[in-house]
Amino acid sequence: MSNKPASITQCDICIVGSGAGSGPIAYELAKAGYQVIVLEKGAWYAEDDFKKDEMLLRHKTFRSKLKDERHVIEEPDDDGSWSSRNTGDFWGGNIVGGASNFMSGYFHRLKPEDFRLLSEFGPIAGANITDWPISYAELEPYYARVEKIVGVSGKVVSHRHLEPRSTPDYPFPPTAEHPVSQWFDKAATESGFTPLPMARAILSQPHNHRRSCEYSGYCGSYGCSSGAKGSSRAALLDSAVKTGNCKIIAHARAYQINTDNKGNATSIDYFNTTMERHQVKAKIFSVACYSIESSRLLLSSTGPRHPEGIGNRYNQLGKNLHCCAGGTGHGVFDLTRISTEKARALKVKGPFFNRALQDWYFIDDKKAFGKKIKGGTIDFVFDPSSPTSEANSLKWDNNNQLIWGSEFKRKLKSHFTQSSDLKFEVFCDWLPTENCFVSLDKSETDKWNMPVARVKTGYHPHDLKVARYLIDKGVQLMKQMGAHQYYGNVFTTPTYNLIAGGMRFGHNPEQSVLDADCRVHGCNNLFVTDGSFMPNGGSVTPTFTIYANAFRVADRIKQQLK
Amino acid sequence: MLEPSRKSAKSHTMTSPKKGALPKNYKGPLASGLNRRAFLKTSSAISLLAGLTACKPEITHQNLNQKPEPSKNANPSFSRLFNEHQKKTLNAVQVLLFPDDGNGPDALAINALSYLEWAMTDSQNVDDGDPEFISRGIGWLDDLSEQQKGDKFIKLTQKQQNKLLTEIAATQAGENWLSLLLYYITEALMLDPVYGGNPDAIGWQWLEHQPGFPAPVTGKTYQDFN
Repeated sequence: MSNKPASITQCDICIVGSGAGSGPIAYELAKAGYQVIVLEKGAWYAEDDFKKDEMLLRHKTFRSKLKDERHVIEEPDDDGSWSSRNTGDFWGGNIVGGASNFMSGYFHRLKPEDFRLLSEFGPIAGANITDWPISYAELEPYYARVEKIVGVSGKVVSHRHLEPRSTPDYPFPPTAEHPVSQWFDKAATESGFTPLPMARAILSQPHNHRRSCEYSGYCGSYGCSSGAKGSSRAALLDSAVKTGNCKIIAHARAYQINTDNKGNATSIDYFNTTMERHQVKAKIFSVACYSIESSRLLLSSTGPRHPEGIGNRYNQLGKNLHCCAGGTGHGVFDLTRISTEKARALKVKGPFFNRALQDWYFIDDKKAFGKKIKGGTIDFVFDPSSPTSEANSLKWDNNNQLIWGSEFKRKLKSHFTQSSDLKFEVFCDWLPTENCFVSLDKSETDKWNMPVARVKTGYHPHDLKVARYLIDKGVQLMKQMGAHQYYGNVFTTPTYNLIAGGMRFGHNPEQSVLDADCRVHGCNNLFVTDGSFMPNGGSVTPTFTIYANAFRVADRIKQQLK
Repeated sequence: MLEPSRKSAKSHTMTSPKKGALPKNYKGPLASGLNRRAFLKTSSAISLLAGLTACKPEITHQNLNQKPEPSKNANPSFSRLFNEHQKKTLNAVQVLLFPDDGNGPDALAINALSYLEWAMTDSQNVDDGDPEFISRGIGWLDDLSEQQKGDKFIKLTQKQQNKLLTEIAATQAGENWLSLLLYYITEALMLDPVYGGNPDAIGWQWLEHQPGFPAPVTGKTYQDFN
């Protein structure tokens, strides 16, 4: 690697990755007049490219190919041993805008208590719980900023766990609502629960160059064709590029951050599509390529002051990774056993269900847990359509035997035309432990001949208890709604689309990788702005918080550049 | 949306395989074996290992070098993947798996065979070992048919054919083979018509499915993104 790069480009700030952690930095810095370069490994597509085509999902079109690059995932087995496998599942989205192109955009804020889990709830043996170096109040203005700039649609309803807000309501009214949402409100109220409308990072009205949602029923994992979904690309990068100050280099695979004798970053090396090596020099660098890959990049980038990787002086780099604990449940309605009117309502496709329960965000049930503990959120959703996968899954009967012929066809017909499946998703904290971290694999390399990330994904048994508690509540609600079948399952496998941590922020360099501004300890001009900074994920999807934090860090970077 | 990681294979349910689990790191001699004994024998340890591996190898290196380039244009070579006898056999099996029984379209009406032939030219499906596994399965089915009935599979009555399918479904490899054929049948039934199955949205109409918009079009299919 001693050859001279094919090109050297100079800018004020160089950003690696283009997802939710990068968009705010590029947007803010470009608007402030700084020269920004964004390096993105994937390709650059626009609204017109995103067709509602299930084949794109089936072929993992916007993720790396397993043969090109992969992760080695180490998982616990039932007998207490560990086994590992190679997988291509853990790529959020190798595309300009990253995984935010494929999010559902359930936007819940964290609560003030999420910033001080240790002091609020005390330690849990075997879990690395800590308080954050900042408070909710410091992040609040940036949540409000995300709601306005990225575009969040919803309606604030007062409830006992509502987090403090500087604005009375969301800037955009709620997205169109599914008729069955009203059944939910009634059932929740009857059960003594508080039905909450769920805010979404989806525009209910046109905003800037973006159109409103068109309600095709193919949201979630499908790219957005109207620009309504608040992806980093649609909501931020497009505007950043329009300033003339931001250049996005697609197909640029960053592989090394170079540092000087003081430990500060000087340049970043990347490969282009023809495996040619290029270099970007900048005053400030910011990395946000999804927790696993951000840790991997810093682990791979050794230098005179960083022999074990940048920010790894105390062996903290890659540690305290977390996924989303929880599980899923279903309420299945038999359309032949309800009124025609109700059946018609259940068959409506397009508008969003948009309901959540946060009654147990904190659980004060001494009988179940002995003391007050941190709980979680239950989101209720109709899954985006994926009819082929659904049809394929029906080829197994209840005893896991393959069926075919008329029996299979009858099952298809009744599933698709006479039943409706409402789903709930439980989000709890995945407690960070010694058994959940990123390292470099010692034997597997990618097509650029770089060691791939090895991810150990151990969970804490406490997570399962909390998840079970919430799942029982979700099932209870489904029953109350009149579902004919209702059930739910806790899962212990990592949620590959909701990973954070790995470089948590903190005041003490011996126990954290980043300082309170998300600057790497011992590297004054390198920031990490994806979900890596989070000591805990909160019991919601982390994207909203990643956006908010990146806007906060953008302010710190601007101060540093002055 | 929560997307828990899972080891789902084309032929398997989202839950664990029903006949025990293949050690995740298994790299022994059976890993490369798409062997005939595995197909014919009932659920011994050998058939289990070979069967599971045969259906979804992680990456088979011998396959990596021979992938056909997916093309936006019709690829005239794909029809040569299966010979006439193999096509007749696949057609017969598909019609049993997805019959004309008065309840919606059958395999013929959804272009299941031509869809399968086209899908077998996809590089990822080739990497997964699907064309080879499907081809070999036809040979095994004929072997079993000749052993038991003294003739090729397509010469048997539908009743005899169905009985053979039930028999092979009791072996892991046989079940994987049928399951993979069903996987491609559901693609021909429910994917956008731009891919050659589901002509005039016949599958969607039968199952009252409301497609999304905008729909993929020629020049903007999944193959145009690589």
